[in-house]
Amino acid sequence: MPSTQTPPIAGVAIDPPSLRPSIDDAFIERVEPGQLRARLEALKNDGYTMLLDLGAVDYLQRKPRFDLVYHLLKLAARKATVAEVGTPARLRLLCGVDEGERVPTVMDLWVSADWAEREVYDLFGIVFDGHADLRRIQMPHDWEGHPLRKDYPMRGPARERAPRPSFANKTNVVAGTPPSGRTLEALQEEIKRARES
Amino acid sequence: MAVSPGHFMLARVDDVARWAQSSSVWPLTMGLACCAIEMMSVTAPEYDIARLGSEVFRSSPRQADLMIVSGRVAQKMGPVVKRLYDQMADPKWVISMGACASSGGIFDNYAVIQGIDTIIPVDVYVPGCPPTPDGLLYAVNLIQQQIREGGRGGILARA
Amino acid sequence: MTVYAKPLSPDIVSQTGNTMVLSMGPQHPSTHGVLQIMLEIEGENVVKAEPEIGYLHTGIEKTAEGLFWTQAQTVIERMDYLAPSSNALCYALGVEKLLGITDRIPERAQIIRVLSMELTRIASHCVWLGTHGIDLGALSIFFYTFDLRENILDLQESSGGARMHPNYLRVGGLNGDLPEGYLVNLDALIEKFPGRMRELRGLLQANPIFQDRTIDLGVLTPQEAISWGVTGPSLRASGIAYDVRRAFPYTGYENYDFDVPTRDEGDAYARFLVRLDEMEESMRIVEQARRRLETPGPVMIDDPKVALPPKETIALSMEALIHHFKLVSEGFRVPPGDVYQAIESPRGELGYYIVSNGENRPYRIRTRPPSLYNLQALKGIAPGNLIADLVVMIGSLDPVFGEVDR
Repeated sequence: MPSTQTPPIAGVAIDPPSLRPSIDDAFIERVEPGQLRARLEALKNDGYTMLLDLGAVDYLQRKPRFDLVYHLLKLAARKATVAEVGTPARLRLLCGVDEGERVPTVMDLWVSADWAEREVYDLFGIVFDGHADLRRIQMPHDWEGHPLRKDYPMRGPARERAPRPSFANKTNVVAGTPPSGRTLEALQEEIKRARES
Repeated sequence: MAVSPGHFMLARVDDVARWAQSSSVWPLTMGLACCAIEMMSVTAPEYDIARLGSEVFRSSPRQADLMIVSGRVAQKMGPVVKRLYDQMADPKWVISMGACASSGGIFDNYAVIQGIDTIIPVDVYVPGCPPTPDGLLYAVNLIQQQIREGGRGGILARA
Repeated sequence: MTVYAKPLSPDIVSQTGNTMVLSMGPQHPSTHGVLQIMLEIEGENVVKAEPEIGYLHTGIEKTAEGLFWTQAQTVIERMDYLAPSSNALCYALGVEKLLGITDRIPERAQIIRVLSMELTRIASHCVWLGTHGIDLGALSIFFYTFDLRENILDLQESSGGARMHPNYLRVGGLNGDLPEGYLVNLDALIEKFPGRMRELRGLLQANPIFQDRTIDLGVLTPQEAISWGVTGPSLRASGIAYDVRRAFPYTGYENYDFDVPTRDEGDAYARFLVRLDEMEESMRIVEQARRRLETPGPVMIDDPKVALPPKETIALSMEALIHHFKLVSEGFRVPPGDVYQAIESPRGELGYYIVSNGENRPYRIRTRPPSLYNLQALKGIAPGNLIADLVVMIGSLDPVFGEVDR
């Protein structure tokens, strides 16, 4: 279940990235978790010196469930002017990971992966094998659950059980009736009387 | 007030103490989020909180009288705010600055405490996201008024 | 009464017995927000520094998943609260790419976007400079920078309606055209700026105490900066002129004439100088944008599926009324797909990886927060320095915790 604030709409895309080719200026690749480490090592040797970002997306109804998204930038690790930098190549590496599956860390290739991997672990519960210090980073250390998963309620498990106030619940409004309970006819009647007086 | 030699003035100690207290409310340096930047703005030239005698932002809670909770309080920060409040010496006052601190604001989610009045008592609530520096100055004014009158309790600073 | 987590968790323990573990923050005047650093110290020397973040974790990414595409911009603006417009712009550009309307944004809207981006950059650097000065004991610069910042906030307030989170840049263009009198105030600011900049430089740049405390401190070599993922002024202070505005131009930056200031030293003083130069370059862009603002024109895309119809047509046109009702009550739908959009925020490369599954709400918005990666480099540069120098290093990296923790 997504949270109570996002009622699911029938017929939505289950795997959006596969639907249409991306529209940005990056190269896009998809690898299996088995080849992930080898591919990233090869890319690092190929000159992708900067790991811009590592994030994850939870596609609840898809198998495998999660996508790890690595954003890489090909930037020479030496002093360079604007002309020398030019337009560096971007690469986006997607890797489908199922629940409970473990992924090798890339912390030894790019130190910047340290906090990024901790964040993915904290918010999605994906475990990185070989990470030196894999613990929660954003949430308190004794927090339960992984908040950015789609089946984690928006308002947290403790508060989700409490009913929302009635004015926030849209289902108690009958279509065509103003929330005050006045009907349209009554409203028109009232306006008419006000005009006449 | 000018009192010429040979004359004397009668006043209750309470009133004099409150008058003195109300003109030197020292806030705690505790910036949380967006509102903290507006809290910094009130010390800057255009607003100048020094006119109210509150420019002395103290970094230690032991020396502070006023806690301005400026911004959203995350679940992880909640215990820290509570501890800081406990460390402040009595008498102490609290301004809940901004919608997030007062009620959770637009962040009705797992991570944000829905109003700091669930963890510490609040004297003045300032609405806004973030409130203007004028709003915060008015809240400090209300705190001063409360001190002079000796009462406390949730006031909504309505500009 | 809810039970909250234990406040502190000492994750570093003394390894040798000769060192002491000290917790700095999360309430500390010089950590620029709610940063906690677990320090392992030997005397006054830092042996190891482990920043603890998450004290401002707001769940913005999750909250955005429950809001319409336009509503989500409201929470997203609250990430980097020193430069809210840069968040808004990056998000809007990403959604526009998904919608396929990037080429149809009106010219005038693009100019005003550039204008607000550069003004917000100056305002952000003003806060950085003021607080950085306070950290070092130079109190007076704060008053000068905040005075300048007030002028920019006044402009922002007049155009967007709010001082700090104007929500002025929208998907498809702008919230509205610039108000009357805006350009007069802008001209006044342009006129005032060079003199104020001279004062700012005069206060700190040649100040021997300031130089003593910043030169050769917290040096990031190009290799280190790259491997930590550092971007923005901190990367350019290490000699690499990577600026998203030049490398991947967006919203018409290729039409503006400006330099990308760099330094080779990579220390805290170099980062200071790069940011000061950047403020002047930003003003150059503002002046160019100002000159292009003379011609009036539309500021919102002419597409009833995305943009609200003009208020005066609603009473006259049935179609406009329907579009207005649909947009307000259920928002617009975005074709399924994913996109990564990056811009140069005052802190570095700000990126949004946006996934849509065809609904009227974003499926996932992942931020690439420049502050998170810049701050992470503190682990590399802090060891071997004095505790007193640690605050200088934090200040020179310019983290914003709304963005680090989100």
